[in-house]
Amino acid sequence: MIRTALRHHAPTEVAEAVALLDAHAERAAVLGGGTMLVPSLTRGERDVDHVIDLRRLGVDAVTVRADGVHIGAMVTYAHLLAASPFPGPAHLLQRVAGGITGGPQIRCQGTICGSAAYANPSSEVPAVLVALDATMHLHGPGGARITPASAFFLDAFTVDLRRGELLTGVSVAARAARLGYYKLKLAEGSWPIATAAAVLPPIDVGSGGIGFSGVGYSGAVVTLGAISTRPIRLDLAPVLDDAGRLPSDADVDDWVAAQIGEPWDDELAPGDYRRMVAGVVLRRALHRANEENR
Amino acid sequence: MIELASEPQHVEAVPDRDVSMTVNGRACRVRCEDRHLLVEVLREQLRLKGTHAGCLNGDCGACTVEFNGQPVKSCLVLAATAEGAEITTIEGVAHGGELDPVQQAFWDNDGFQCGFCVPGQIFATRWLLARDTDPTDEAIREALAGNICRCTGYQTIVESVRAAAVGLRDERRTT
Repeated sequence: MIRTALRHHAPTEVAEAVALLDAHAERAAVLGGGTMLVPSLTRGERDVDHVIDLRRLGVDAVTVRADGVHIGAMVTYAHLLAASPFPGPAHLLQRVAGGITGGPQIRCQGTICGSAAYANPSSEVPAVLVALDATMHLHGPGGARITPASAFFLDAFTVDLRRGELLTGVSVAARAARLGYYKLKLAEGSWPIATAAAVLPPIDVGSGGIGFSGVGYSGAVVTLGAISTRPIRLDLAPVLDDAGRLPSDADVDDWVAAQIGEPWDDELAPGDYRRMVAGVVLRRALHRANEENR
Repeated sequence: MIELASEPQHVEAVPDRDVSMTVNGRACRVRCEDRHLLVEVLREQLRLKGTHAGCLNGDCGACTVEFNGQPVKSCLVLAATAEGAEITTIEGVAHGGELDPVQQAFWDNDGFQCGFCVPGQIFATRWLLARDTDPTDEAIREALAGNICRCTGYQTIVESVRAAAVGLRDERRTT
């Protein structure tokens, strides 16, 4: 049982939701799918007087177009899986949705945007949004604003949401790229311990573009998740030779480990373990980007 | 000895509301506090005790119900958000005193021991078999990942789901 005297609000307009959030500030919480907020209220970890439920806000649509996708704040993982295939690397969002822990119930309740706003370092979603160069759509007292995912995630459980602001959706532009994804977790019901999303230039980009022979990784960018308090985006250029080849596995692993400032440490794995496996996870994502996109 | 306060203490009113929903095909209206969970309203107000309250943390799946056709963990839902919703609890699955094919398969294959988790397992199974009429064991185990059983070791549950799939396919063939 929730012990605080909550008041539930279900606004039907974004402006109304923003006004409520602004008026009640830190005494209010946004309710999306509820998979994180509701149990935290039950456990007494969150103490708020007002819950702003987005269910009637009309932000529950997935729009799939040739130039990209837009995902409303109330779109669940199950909704993503039922949508038509996303173009290009954005399909990673659907792949991640299929692997969310907690079974079909959590996929029918949890939302991508909720996971983004919660910003649990162990969640897959923040790093995937950063890897895809997603755009976060925010509404606040000053109106609408957008910000890149790379600037949205500030720290563990901390995002760039100002007073009265809420996240109404995310969008991912279509682009030609090869994608490889690797997730390390030790049990079906576990949060990931490390993730890596490798984005590589396409193989055929014309004579003036970036050539790719299949053995090199020129232009590769890898985003690590669950390794640190926020996603780590790594441009591999400093470790590639002139042909775009990686050095030895040990050298890659050492370089990756050196890029991680303070690794995330929780009950699933100590920070040192995460630092140790980061290079392996990165290499596997790169390998998949190469192999799965031939 | 307990000392009584000289002045009555101020007790803050807890916000409450009427919530209208359809439960197991019947329209109903309940008065509940805004902070009440759906599982609490189903069990304590509507007396539908087949929805079990386990972890209240979204982990065990014992409180699973169908909410607008989708399986949800009712400990993760505020009752206030159920306004206008169509809900099916385990009491609404059997019809005319006959177990539905999924329930029957669990019964026939010892898919439970203490029975605490079985309502949730049934709803997860219904969701799976509505989308995959011939699931692999891997798909079955994946679909049941949100439901924890402390008795069976899961093997008889997997066998129950497999049997339910066969039963439903046979039923479709004959209808």
